[in-house]
Amino acid sequence: MMRDWLTRCRFMISQPKPDELDEEPRFHVEQAAEARTAAGVATVEARRQALIEFGGVERVREQCYQQRPGWWMGTVAQDVRYALRGFRRNLVFTIAVIATLAVGIGATTAVFSVVDRILFRPLPYAQGDRLVSVGLGQPLERQEFTLGGFFFEWRDNQKPFQSITYEMSYGDCNLTETEPVHLHCISVAQNFVPTMGIPLQLGRNFTVEEDIPNGPRVAMITDGLWLRRFNRSPDAVNQQINVDGHLTRIVGVLPRDFEMPRLQPTDILQPAQVDIAAQHTVNSGIGYPMWAFARLKPGVSIAQAKAEMQPLFLHTQQWIPPELRKEFQLQVRSLRDRQMQDAYAAAWVLLGAVLVVLLIACANVASLFSARGAARQRELAVRSALGASRVRLVRQTLTEAFLLAFAGAAAGCLFSEILLRVFIAIAPTGVPFLTSARLDLRIVLFTVLVSFLCAALFGIVPALEKPRAIALAARQTKSGAHARLRRLLVAMQIGLSVVLLSGASLLVRSFWNLQRQNLGIETRNVITVHVPLNGERHPAGFLDFYLRAEAALRRLPGVSAVGMTDSLPPIGGQGMRYSELRVVGRTPTPGGRGGTLAVRHVTPDYFRAFQIPIVNGAGFTDAERNSKDHFMILSRELAARMFPGEDPVGNHVEVAVFNPYLAPGPIYTVVGVAANVKNAGLTGDDSPELYELATNQPDTWSLHHFFVLDSSLPVSLVAPLIRSSVAQLDPTAPVEISTMTRTVSQLADRPRFETALLGFFALCGLLMAVIGLYGVISFVATQRTQEIGVRMALGATRVDILRLIMGEGVRLIALGGLLGLGAALAAAQLLKSLLFHVGARDPWTYAGVVGVLGMVALTATLIPARAAMKVEPVVALRYE
Amino acid sequence: MAESTDLLQGTLDLLILQTLDLGPMHGWGVAQRIQQVSRDALQIGQGSLYPALHRLEYKGWIRADWGISENNRRAKFYSLTETGRKQLEAELESWERLSGAIGLVLGRIPEAAS
Repeated sequence: MMRDWLTRCRFMISQPKPDELDEEPRFHVEQAAEARTAAGVATVEARRQALIEFGGVERVREQCYQQRPGWWMGTVAQDVRYALRGFRRNLVFTIAVIATLAVGIGATTAVFSVVDRILFRPLPYAQGDRLVSVGLGQPLERQEFTLGGFFFEWRDNQKPFQSITYEMSYGDCNLTETEPVHLHCISVAQNFVPTMGIPLQLGRNFTVEEDIPNGPRVAMITDGLWLRRFNRSPDAVNQQINVDGHLTRIVGVLPRDFEMPRLQPTDILQPAQVDIAAQHTVNSGIGYPMWAFARLKPGVSIAQAKAEMQPLFLHTQQWIPPELRKEFQLQVRSLRDRQMQDAYAAAWVLLGAVLVVLLIACANVASLFSARGAARQRELAVRSALGASRVRLVRQTLTEAFLLAFAGAAAGCLFSEILLRVFIAIAPTGVPFLTSARLDLRIVLFTVLVSFLCAALFGIVPALEKPRAIALAARQTKSGAHARLRRLLVAMQIGLSVVLLSGASLLVRSFWNLQRQNLGIETRNVITVHVPLNGERHPAGFLDFYLRAEAALRRLPGVSAVGMTDSLPPIGGQGMRYSELRVVGRTPTPGGRGGTLAVRHVTPDYFRAFQIPIVNGAGFTDAERNSKDHFMILSRELAARMFPGEDPVGNHVEVAVFNPYLAPGPIYTVVGVAANVKNAGLTGDDSPELYELATNQPDTWSLHHFFVLDSSLPVSLVAPLIRSSVAQLDPTAPVEISTMTRTVSQLADRPRFETALLGFFALCGLLMAVIGLYGVISFVATQRTQEIGVRMALGATRVDILRLIMGEGVRLIALGGLLGLGAALAAAQLLKSLLFHVGARDPWTYAGVVGVLGMVALTATLIPARAAMKVEPVVALRYE
Repeated sequence: MAESTDLLQGTLDLLILQTLDLGPMHGWGVAQRIQQVSRDALQIGQGSLYPALHRLEYKGWIRADWGISENNRRAKFYSLTETGRKQLEAELESWERLSGAIGLVLGRIPEAAS
């Protein structure tokens, strides 16, 4: 075997001397001639007969040469050289193909690499596709959650799952060591790590003994904290760290790619240590909120699991107050669905857009190759007549396609790497996993293959056709079928770019609306300060700290108002049902009706800092803060709903409390009506809003209040002053300072990102379609040069010629535009969920797109048409 | 001249190897030899002889050396290599199996003889 192979190698390296190949047949012929002479034939005749008998010497030589292993490599080199010469002669064609491929391959690869992480990435859990999220859905919280009062009954009686676990996010905690650090601590069940299938880097999981009420303080830390605090030292296990003033022993280190199933930031996992028996008494008898995740048994589908859980769910419904029961539903869905719900739409749109770009690129390459093929029919006919086999001609075309695809792919990879960097740079933090996106080689390969096939398919067609003798003779080559195909391809490109352009325009308009909408608050000059407090350091409650901090901040230069609130617009505050409100002296709204409200707990200066006008009544006063009574301000929308046609100021409203059923609660006095403010993000549907006055009652203050400052000085000057003021009150408290302008702009990051990307693709698509159109029209014009000459000689004016050539382009534009418009209207339905205050069928957008595309496309046809018009008839007649 | 018989695919290689087993020979000699031995039944066309010789050489079954022919001319002499000899044995064996089998099917060989 080895010897065999070596022999082959030897022959591949050593070239045979051409005269050896000649000498052998010559010897043969001479021998044959001699044999005949010996038999009595005359010398000349003998030689003639021998030559006839031998046949084509050249053919034998060729055949001998082809026996050589690897002989075809020589012809490949020939093909490559020939192709390169051809490319150099036809630079415009070459550059057009490579540029098209680079854009098509580059854009597709970059976007696929991003979308792949969102849509198809494997979850960082063992057999992550068997993990589901189980819980209750209801109007106030559509993302399923569960409650301690339910969960443990489910856990002990469920059948469809191998195991079920939960996490409870207590969120903020501080590493109170030399320098206070704000961390994210999450409480999880003892079986959380094994159920999710998370392999620990180091140490062990919690034991059952550690997950009992008042159990030992232990923790698993993430890789990030391990690096920051211990520089990844293996000694970290069994060390103690100080979390919120408690010494906590580290038992394990989570893997590097660890993430919580709900993707919230995490530094420390602690055992939840839940008192199971108490779950029917705490939190109004429904137990603490928690989030449940389960691993399906093999062979059990999500639908089956849900059906099997339904009786358990109905049984636990008894813990929910009857008037709210029908609001709750059981939800079981895959973990991936839960994680990706709002990224799905954007990812699919992006994917669709980029596939359209790839399609346009392919159509472009195909029509370029087809045009070139048609122009080369004569060359092919000549080569075929000179003895080139069909196989050889096809191989030549394939070589060309391959070379161009290769060059295009190289340029495309470069382009996609740049694009990907740009994406990551401009992407909002809300797009999950973007920063970890890498160029995916499979995708590069896929796109290269697709574009190679495009080129090869359309390049081969002319080579496969039986070379017609007429092609040799004809001065003008014309192939009806190919011309029609090319026109169709161009029309298709125009149609596709209409789809892209209209999608992009809709997003741009939507983004424009988003940016220009009135939020109802003044964001300029507003600084927000968040101080996550440590409960241990403020045993008497947080009120004292907040009041002293408020006073200190008021003394800062340039600060004219310091308000406090438990949440920041334009995001909603706490949710509340409309039916929990009752105007004193009237019948209550039936339970579960009337939707939800946004509730904020604010001080009087909140309205001043945000410049929210009080349109009726006096609003909150500082004097009321010290009162033991309750005061509220209604948003205009809520006022109109509760008191239609009446003055709400001075009325009393009772707010129900859970105890454990809805029971009468405190009575509030309405002291004013405020203008409406956005409270469901930039794009959500606003809820009616209710402001409760934050009075000086210690139990109403949590560790999550924000300060809002109206400052005439820039944040860079004020920030150090704020920090030092807070540090004087509590040196261990971390201080987070931001501006409202930044907060609001971050909310718009996502639509900005989507708009920028789709806009970019639309431009790429348009550019390629226009190049395609220009190419085809100028090709047609060149091919018809002679015809133009004849027409002019017969008396056609230049305007007639212009009309003739333009007519071709206009027909294509009209056809493509019409098809594209139909497709765009259908495709816009996909965009619906991303659009803000603009219809998916907004006529102005479509009119604009058609107008712009028409203008650009007409210009692209005008250039070759004008060139055709200027042709001198005499030159045209003699053309070729 | 007797009508030549079409050679079975692959048989030409066998014939060449068998012929060269007698000793080094040039292309013309191989063709003449096969023609004589087969009593003119097998005429090897030059169009297939030389490509076959080259093919066998590239496979390493035969070796080519330039030498002087009987009438004092430079000619390429082919000779069997060690691998070629083994290949010949293998091919002869499979040929006998094949021809025996065909003979049986055609009923030309009495069963006892095979």
